[in-house]
Amino acid sequence: MQPDEQLREEALAWAVRTLDPAFADWDAFTHWLEANPAHAAAYDRIAAAAMEAGELSPAPAAANDVQEASTIRRQVGRRWFAGGLAACAAGLLAVGLWQQATPDLYSRQTAPGQVLAIDLGDGSRIHLAGDSRIELDRDNLRFARLERGRALFTIHHDEANPFRVEAGGHELLDVGTVFDVRDDAAGFSVAVQEGAVMVDPHDVKVRLDAGDQLAIAPGSDRMVVSEIAAADIGTWRDGRLTFASASLAEVAAELARASGHRFITAPGAPRGSLTGSILVDAVRRDPASAGALLGVAVWRQGDAWMIEGP
Amino acid sequence: MPSELLDGQSVRDESAGGIIAGKGTMADSLPESGVHAAFLHHRAQLLRFIAARGGGADAEDVLQEVWLRISTAQSGPVANPLSYLYRVANTVLIDRYRARRQAVLRDRAWSETQGGSDIAVSDAPSAERIVLARDLARAVEALLARLHPPRVAAIFRRHRIDGMGQRQIAAEFGISLSTVEADLRIAYRALAELREQFDAG
Repeated sequence: MQPDEQLREEALAWAVRTLDPAFADWDAFTHWLEANPAHAAAYDRIAAAAMEAGELSPAPAAANDVQEASTIRRQVGRRWFAGGLAACAAGLLAVGLWQQATPDLYSRQTAPGQVLAIDLGDGSRIHLAGDSRIELDRDNLRFARLERGRALFTIHHDEANPFRVEAGGHELLDVGTVFDVRDDAAGFSVAVQEGAVMVDPHDVKVRLDAGDQLAIAPGSDRMVVSEIAAADIGTWRDGRLTFASASLAEVAAELARASGHRFITAPGAPRGSLTGSILVDAVRRDPASAGALLGVAVWRQGDAWMIEGP
Repeated sequence: MPSELLDGQSVRDESAGGIIAGKGTMADSLPESGVHAAFLHHRAQLLRFIAARGGGADAEDVLQEVWLRISTAQSGPVANPLSYLYRVANTVLIDRYRARRQAVLRDRAWSETQGGSDIAVSDAPSAERIVLARDLARAVEALLARLHPPRVAAIFRRHRIDGMGQRQIAAEFGISLSTVEADLRIAYRALAELREQFDAG
């Protein structure tokens, strides 16, 4: 065997072994790496290709994917089918046909407490907060639909082909941008850290510049634009939650999403006005510590943590 | 859909800034846990691994990123904290390799077209690069479909997309663990060669 080929075989074997969640013999792996500086580079090439392919490749067509595909199909049906076709029954065959005629949509979602970084390949990136779900299109990398939860978009601007986000029934068009979008039980909001975003460009056309935040309370259609410190936007990605005049419901939703613990507010809780900053890690370890850190009362109620205002 | 957080294969926290920045020592900024305690206890060992893995001059930066990831991405008790830390460090290094490679490709594609802008976020994306990512996704699909035996693609997906461990896959497919490993070697080799073709343009 040629030396290069042998090195490659060894790197392959190590990549297969080390990328298995059960792998534990890191000492042996370290020894192999230390034996020859070329080992690390050979390993990187293979491991990176394997991980990348796993992220690029769609999930196989399992039973639950048929369900998922049919849901997506309903949503895009209006746009891509002339009426009645969209109503035909879901099934593997129908899904197969549908895939030829529609955008190549797929979803990513997170459990509470997770943060998922999605690299769109052109330098644009989306960080998806916990308990959130987003839909993307393989055939159009300049589109995302936030189905629920929260996401931070860091977008390479392209004048000719702006990035478009659908969320909470609104459309957002980037004008060169880092921005945070949230759509959950506590309401809808968009906050712009860099650049600008056009909200509902075909309708009300609200332009948000850096440091602007637009919020819509649940059940309301009133848009409220306020100022927010740009440095406070998207801090959840770095494990910190920052609140500025936030309601208790917003605080509870954010804490739950980031920590994985359930936080609730008393029915009819007043719209509090909480301001503060808190490390997610601390709350993850001790949910009650959120109380002291934010100046609210937090106590255990069954499997949830009740928050009561200051 | 990857859901196994501890595997770190695609749940990547790429935070670049600072929980740690501006704080005191790492130890007093956060409460102790098994993983954090293991980090502090096995720091030198992890540094040695990172250096051997090619982290070299950036070893301290890599270690800091490992700390950030365990501080923001941990979802529950970890059975083997040290092994978990190695896995996180290994993933950080693979991610860095990928970021470096992307930067090289981007520079190559844009060296002549980009003028004054020095803010990465406001740079226009390369149409070619968008196409490249899409083409690569399709090429990966086509390649997996071509692999023999067909079980190889199914095993690759079960492992890299569903996050299932190799031992569990062996049980599910009714084959030996070494067969699962051999199949994954076939897939990884083909994928690495595909990526090299793309990089070569």
